[in-house]
Amino acid sequence: MLIDTNTYIGHWAFRPLPWHTADDLLRAMDAHGIDRAFVSSASAILYRNTQAGNEELFAQVRGHADRLVPFAVINPTYAAWEEDLRVCQEEFGVRGLRLYPRYHRYSLNDAAGQALIQAATARGLILSVPLRVEDYRQRSWLLDIPDVPAAEVAEAARAHPEARFLPVNGLGYLGTAFGQPGAVRGDYGLEISRLSAVLQEEITQLIEAVGPEHLVFGSGMPFTVPEVPLLKLKVLQAPEEVKEAIRWRNAARLLGE
Amino acid sequence: MVIDCHAHLTGAPNDVTIHWGVPDEKVIADSERLGIDAMCVSLLTRHRPATPDGFRTCNRLLAEITRRYPGRVFGYCYVNPGYQREAVEEIHRCIEEYGFIGVKLYNEYKCLDPVVAPIVETAIALRVPILHHAGHSHYYVADQPNMSDGGELAELARRYPEATLICAHVGGGGDWEWTIKAVQPAPNVYLDTSGSVFDAGMVEMAARLLGPERLLFGCDLSYTAGLGKIQAAALPEEAKRRILGENMQRLLAQRESQC
Repeated sequence: MLIDTNTYIGHWAFRPLPWHTADDLLRAMDAHGIDRAFVSSASAILYRNTQAGNEELFAQVRGHADRLVPFAVINPTYAAWEEDLRVCQEEFGVRGLRLYPRYHRYSLNDAAGQALIQAATARGLILSVPLRVEDYRQRSWLLDIPDVPAAEVAEAARAHPEARFLPVNGLGYLGTAFGQPGAVRGDYGLEISRLSAVLQEEITQLIEAVGPEHLVFGSGMPFTVPEVPLLKLKVLQAPEEVKEAIRWRNAARLLGE
Repeated sequence: MVIDCHAHLTGAPNDVTIHWGVPDEKVIADSERLGIDAMCVSLLTRHRPATPDGFRTCNRLLAEITRRYPGRVFGYCYVNPGYQREAVEEIHRCIEEYGFIGVKLYNEYKCLDPVVAPIVETAIALRVPILHHAGHSHYYVADQPNMSDGGELAELARRYPEATLICAHVGGGGDWEWTIKAVQPAPNVYLDTSGSVFDAGMVEMAARLLGPERLLFGCDLSYTAGLGKIQAAALPEEAKRRILGENMQRLLAQRESQC
C-alpha cells in the first residue's frame, strides 16, 4: 500500500504541467504503484475565488472516492470562505484543506489564519500547508512569494493541539517544534519529498527525534516527479515497519482510518 | 557507468574550504549506495573571492582525495580568474601534475569578463572542460552579483568554439526553461542536470531542445533529486545512459586523446 499525501490536478499559470486531470493522476498513480492520493486544485492557488478551483476538482474526482481524497483550497481573507468551507465538507466530502498563506496574504498565526484553523479543526479537517509551490529562485517576475517558514506551521500546530497539520514541500523541521518530542501535542505528518534520505539524513534524524509516526510519503506531482521521494524511501536505512508507516499507515491514521 | 559531473567535498580538516556538514567518506559512500560509480569534484573556498593561497589549498586537498579514490573521484581545478598568472599556473599544475579532469569557475567574475579569457584559452589548450557556476533569476541576486547565466555562457562558447563549457546545475539555477533555451544555440555548451529542483518536464525539455548528447547527469550534493529526475524522465534508456555517464566519459576522453 502506498498513499501519496501531496498531488494536484489542474493548471499552473507559470509553466505547463505534464498533465491536468483526475484520469491523468490515476494513470500516474498506477505507473508508480500509488494506491491513494490526497489531491487538490493547482488552479485554485492563483484563482481569486478559490472555490471555483475546488468545484473543478470535485467534478473530476467524483466517482473515484476509493483512490482520490479531495482537499479544498480555502482563502480566509476572501468573501464567504466559511460557506465555501461548509460546502466543501458537507457537499463535496473533502477530508482536508490546502492552505497557501503567502499566496493569499495572511499568516497562520494572524486573525485570519487562526479563524480558518479553528473552523477547519472544528470540522475535523486535516490542514495541509505547502511550504512552497515552486523553488523560490525560479519565480516569475510577476510574483514574489517566499516560502512559508516551517517554524510558522510548527507554531500553529503547537498552539492548536486539536488540529492535524500536514506540511508538504518542506524541510528544516528539526529546528522547529515538529522536531522536538512532545512539543506538538496534536497529530501531524511531515511529507518527505524534500527531506534528505542521505548525507544529512533529515528523515532519519526526525525518526530518532520524534518517532516514525510523523513522516508521510508525498510526491508533489505533477509539479515534481514521484521518483525522487520513492528513491528516498528505497535508500532510507530503516526497518521495514518504519517504511510501511511512511508509505501509508501514518497517512491513514491522519485520515482517521 | 554513472558519473556525477558536479560534486563537492571538503578535504582533510582545514579552515579554508567550505564544509558541507557531512564527512567526505560519507558523501562518497552515500553516492556509491545510490549506484554512482564516479564523481567529478571541486573544493571551494569558504570565503570568496578566493585568493591564490585559497584555491591552491582547495586543489591540493582535492589531489589527496583523488589519490585515495582513483577512478572514483576526479578533480576539477578551482581558480579565481582575477589572479590571472596564478590561476593559469594552477590549472597547469592541476591538470598536468594532479591529473585533474577540468576547471571549475564559480561566481567571482562573469564569464564574459576579459579576465576569464586566459582561463578559457588554457582549458582549450589542455583539452579539458570548464564547469561554470550559472543561474538565471528574474530578480537581482544580491549575494551573487557576478553570477553568469546560460546566455552569457552561450556567448562565451560562440567566441571560443573549441572550448567545452558545462553550464552548472540547471536544477538549481533559477528559471530552468530560460537556461535551456539560452544555451540551445551553443553546441559546445553542455548542461549539467544537478540541483535540488526535480520539476516534472525539466530533463525532457532539455533533451528535446539540446539533444541528450549535451546533457550531463549531476547532483551537486542533492543526490536523490539528482538521480530521481533522470530515472523519471520520459526518455529512451539509451538517452538516459548517455546522460548518466557516457557523455561525461566522452568529455574525459578528450584529455586522454591528447596524451
